[in-house]
Formats: sequence, structure tokens, C-alpha cells
Amino acid sequence: MRYRSQSVAYGYFAVAMVLFGLQLVFGLLSAAKYLGPDSLLYILPFDVTKVVHTNLLIVWVLTGFMGATYWMVPDESRTELHSVKIAYIQLILWTLMGVSAVVGYLFRYGTGNKLLEQPLPHKIVIVICMLLFLYNVGMTIWKSRRFTTTEGVLVLGLGLAALLYLPALLEYENYTVSIFYRWWTIHLWVEGVWEMIQGGFLAYLLIRLSGADREVMEKWLYVIVGLVLIAGILGTAHHYYWVGVPAYWLPIGGIFSALEPLALIGMAIYAYSAMRRSGLAHPNTLALHWTIGSTVFTLFGAGLLGLAHTFPDVNKWTHGTLITAMHGHAAFYGAYAMIVLAMITFALPTMTPGRSERGSSIGYWAFWMQLGGMFGMTLSFATAGIAQVYLERILGMGYLDVQLKIQVHFLMLLATASLFSVGVGLFIFDFFRYAPRFDVGNEKQPTLRPDTVRPAPIS
Amino acid sequence: MNKRQARLFAIGSTVVAAVAFLALTIDSHRQFPALTNAQNITPAVTHGKNVWHKNNCINCHTLFGEGAYYAPDLTKIAQQRGAPYLQAYLRDPSKFYDEQRHRRLMPKQDMTDAEIADLVAFLDWVSKVDNQGWPPRPILVTGAGVAITGTRSADQAAAVSRSAPPPGPESLPSDKDPMALGEIVFRTVSPACTACHSLVPGANMAGPSLAGVATRAQQIVSSPEYKGKAKDVEGYLSESITSPSAHLVPGAMYSANGVSFMPATFGKDLTPDQVAHLSAYLASFK
Repeated sequence: MRYRSQSVAYGYFAVAMVLFGLQLVFGLLSAAKYLGPDSLLYILPFDVTKVVHTNLLIVWVLTGFMGATYWMVPDESRTELHSVKIAYIQLILWTLMGVSAVVGYLFRYGTGNKLLEQPLPHKIVIVICMLLFLYNVGMTIWKSRRFTTTEGVLVLGLGLAALLYLPALLEYENYTVSIFYRWWTIHLWVEGVWEMIQGGFLAYLLIRLSGADREVMEKWLYVIVGLVLIAGILGTAHHYYWVGVPAYWLPIGGIFSALEPLALIGMAIYAYSAMRRSGLAHPNTLALHWTIGSTVFTLFGAGLLGLAHTFPDVNKWTHGTLITAMHGHAAFYGAYAMIVLAMITFALPTMTPGRSERGSSIGYWAFWMQLGGMFGMTLSFATAGIAQVYLERILGMGYLDVQLKIQVHFLMLLATASLFSVGVGLFIFDFFRYAPRFDVGNEKQPTLRPDTVRPAPIS
Repeated sequence: MNKRQARLFAIGSTVVAAVAFLALTIDSHRQFPALTNAQNITPAVTHGKNVWHKNNCINCHTLFGEGAYYAPDLTKIAQQRGAPYLQAYLRDPSKFYDEQRHRRLMPKQDMTDAEIADLVAFLDWVSKVDNQGWPPRPILVTGAGVAITGTRSADQAAAVSRSAPPPGPESLPSDKDPMALGEIVFRTVSPACTACHSLVPGANMAGPSLAGVATRAQQIVSSPEYKGKAKDVEGYLSESITSPSAHLVPGAMYSANGVSFMPATFGKDLTPDQVAHLSAYLASFK
């Protein structure tokens, strides 16, 4: 840690960890309900556990983004944060918002609009938090007079994410129109500006972890951002096919969704070749695992499994089945959960002394168990989804009868989800195992600077 | 390519994509009223949409295929079930389905009759939105649909008849709603009604589509052409089930020489209760 104010990141990371753990509790509950019968039918029905599961995901990932940004921006701009106080006020406000939203959901207090269930007062607090955050980060960069491309991409991504949340504050009379603008927030977040955020963190991590040249890394970051947005913006069309829009959205969705994996292939090659060419310049190999892992899992979950069902002629059969759950779990985990875990793993050793810089063996167990578990969950959803599409959509069997026939996949889902949860539990345990101590300069920085150390390539 | 060119590419491609996207958005807005029958969004439909949101329906069901995957898609449900059926169902789902059998049940919602009626109006509006013909084949809640429409092999037929011993259809506990029981009869009696009748408007198979059959039955019993004994819709439907030739629907593919092609076996294979349930179910298709 080079700047004292970077320590605010720890608070954000700690909140993110707790919410991540809670998210899994509700995920496991939801999975158990697929097996049924549900003994909590009138206490905690599926719709409640599911809405809490998805909302906690969004809240903890955003908490992680904010913490990681507060960590990264001082490093990039070589300055203290504009205001530590604002950062903590924002964290408290944000956490209160998240927790009270979840408590509200338990009593069915929500808008009932998928993924945007936050009631209006909560939405307003979200906007206030985002403004505080962007102001704080913006002022930090402004005062430092040093603005790198890497943090530029990150901050632009965060700013656009806040902007794209605004359509979610409005009400629409026509349900089709309301779906249309719901995707401006959800799709343009996860397949647009959030990938800029991921790209920003990725470039930062690669520059720090490998000896890669900043100019080269930032050039390719631009290329990746360009590819992401050209495919991502028009790729929104793949959510529009069957909701009551003009027919031209079908070919547009088919073509531009097919381009989406290109950017993700680029991202994986980007990460891998940075390591191949420039070698390792930092001892934190666990953070390296999470960084490269994130790009590879994104390519698998978002790229490959997304492409598996975005083509209109395929999507007309798979739309609204467990195939979507397959893609959703792998994509979100690979792209956003893993990049946050990478940032946490990278930042943690300097905030919690006593920890090995290479990462503990518990940390490695956490990594591999999560990966194996999530891969298994993806396969469970995939096999269940394929059977569902064939029996329900093609042969025309009733929905409820098909769900009975795919129970074995739900058993598999529960088993692999448990494995995943143990992995997450280990990560959280490893996070809190060492008490934080915020000493400035305890990083042996000069020996780790890419321009001074250039070890042999790892291959 | 240097860094400046890369930046130009990023900004340029983003701007081009965003402009194209905004242009298409504007054009879509021009077409939304016609595609979604916006003139039919009555205050009841809007209120029904609010009921849909208030009860968090989207986090179990899908609508237009969007939502959660724990409960059936409801995009076309108003075309598969009549309004009286849906209203009775929403008052108490456990009268229609058995949690022990399907391992899942919709919890009874805290809704007034007015909320239920408007929710059904909303679902009816949804079912008529022009959404590129999705789903390509009806998504059923239970039972088998298309596989039984004459394409099924002898093996499958044997399997089905083993699981539902002929001629008696599968049964549910008798505390269920008559329409729910009627739907089971509709799908499981042998020969199955669904083998010849669809519930999709205009999709006539070996027999005429039964979409809107209650409205047509009303017109038939009150017309002077009608020679049968029935006085009301359910009476007409019962009569058509037990003695198909009492009134013939016009069309050379449905009858010849005054005899309907529909099997005349249901009168003796079904109990009077089952006939009544089936009529109650069909009478919900207004």
C-alpha cells in the first residue's frame, strides 16, 4: 500500500465478502426448491429467495468495484484520495441501502421488475452513492493532474454505468417498452460498460503483475473496449427478439451477438500473452490465477455459452429456459465476481500483514474449488436446460412434467453448488484470517517495479 | 497501429454503434403502438401490470420468456386458459395442482377479486402482443401437447396408456376445482381430446380448434339452426362430448352423412362428473 487512503478499500472488500456469502445462502435455498416440495412455501417462497440472490450479487459486485477503484486510482494517479470521509460515508449509505433492500424483499417490498427490484427510495440512494463515488474519484484524478488510460477506461465505465441506471428510475405504461429500457440498464451494464470496468482492472493487474509495457497494454485495452462496445451496444438486440419489437432486431441481434465473443477472445489473449511475453514481475501468483482465470472463464461463460443461444433460430427454442441460467451463472461469475476477487487478492497482502504475498494454500483451494464448483453448476444447468428445451419446447410436454424428469440435474446442481460454496467460504475465511493494518509503504515497491525487474518468461 | 489509432477505433466504433442503436430505438417507438396494440392498454390492463409487479410474479414465472425459470411461461396463457379458469386458479392454486405430485406449487397470493380480474386482463393483453410468433410451439403447463397429435409411435402410445389406464383419465383429489379436473380429463382421456383439438385460434386439426368454443356454443344454442336438446353453453358442450352427432359443425372434414367423425365413446367411458368437469373447463374459453 503506497497511499494511506487506499485503506478505505478494505472496508468495501469486507462488506463485499459478507454479502457474497449471504448471496450463496439464498442461492442454495433456491436450488433446493427446484427439488421440492417446499416446506418454506409460505415463509420464504422461491420468488423471494431468488430476488435476494440476484440483488445481493449486484450489490456485492458493485461494492467490490468501488473498493477496487478506491484502491487502484491512488496507485494510478500517484496521490491520496480526495476525501476518505466521503468514501466512508458512501460505504455506510451503500451498505444500509443494500441491507434494507434485502430485508424489504423478505416482505415483498420491491418493484417486481427483474433485477431492478429496488424500490424507488433505494434507487435514489444508489444514485446518490454513485454521485458521491464519481465525485470523489474524479476529484482525486483532477487534483493529481495524472490521468492514465487504464483508470480512464475504468472511470468512464463507472460513470456510464451510473448514467445507464437512470432509465430504471422511470415507469413505463407499456410493458414491452418497459422491457426495452430495462435492457438499457441490465444488458448495457453487463455486456457493455461493466466490461470496460473489468478491462480497466484487468489492465491494471496485468501491468502490475507482469512486466508488460504500459503503452502496449493500454493500446490493446482501447482495441478491446472498441470491440466490446461495437458488439455490446447493438448486441442488446438479442434481448429484444420475442418481446414485441420490430422484426429487424432479429438479424441485428444474431450478427452482433456473434461478434461479442471476439472481444472476449481478445481479452483472454491479451492477458495470456502479457504473461508469456513479459514474465512475472510480482510475487502474488494467486492474484495472477484470479486475473487470468477471469478472462478465461469470461470467454467460456459469456463468450461461448452466450453464443450458444443468442442466434435467433436457436434462441426461439431455448429462450426462457434453464439454458439462460447456465449462461448467466458462468458469465457473471467469470467476468465480474472473479475480477473483483482478483483485485481483492492483489490488494490484500499489503493491507493485512502476516499473509504470504504468494497467496496461502487456503487461497488456492478456494480458487480451484470455486472454479470446479461453478463449472459443475454450469454443466448442471446446461444438461437440465437441454433436456428442458427438447422435452418441453420441441416435443411439447408440459412444463411441470418436464421439471420432474430433470430432477437428477437439480441434484447435481445442489452438489456442485455446495462445492462452490465451500470454495467461497474458504476465500472469505482467508480474507478475514489476518487483521488489517494500514502501514504506508510496506510494499517492497522498488524491487517490484516492472521497469526495474524483468525476470525470465515463465514458459 | 499506435495508441492514438487504437483510441480512435474505440471511440469511433462506439459512436457508430450508439448512433445506429438510437436510430433503431426511435424507429421501434414508431412501431410499438401497432405491435403491442397500445390502444388496448386499458386502465384495467395497467392495473393488472401493477398487480403483476407487486406480487413479484417475474421471479418465478417468465413473460415473453423473461423472468425466472421456476414456473411456467405465461406469455400465451390467456389463450390456453379462459378468464374464468385463470381467475379461479389465482384465487387458490392448490385447487388446481398438487404439490406432492409436481413437487412445486404456487403459493396462494393475497389478491382481491378486482386485482385478479385485472391481472387476467393484463395477461390477455400480453398474449396478443405481436412478438414474432414466439413461442414457435405452445408451452404447456402440464400434460403432453404436440407429441400426441397423431405423430406418436405405438410404443409411446402404450407408455401413455400404461401411465393413464384407459378409459378412465388420471385423477386428482376431488377437492380440486372442476375446471382443473376437466383439464386433466381433456389431456388424459383415451382417446385424448388433444389428439384432434387444439386450443390455438384457427389451428384446426382433425377436429375444430376449441379456442373461443364457449362463445360459439352460446351462439349455436340460441340460433334457430340448432336442433339439439341443450339450453346453455355447458349443456351444449356436454352434449357434444357424449353424442357428437347431435349438432354438426360445418365442414366436410368433420362429418359425413350426418355423422360426426368424433368418437362416440365418451358417453359411456366418462362418468357424468367427468363430462361435467370437461364442460366446465371448455366453457372457460370465451
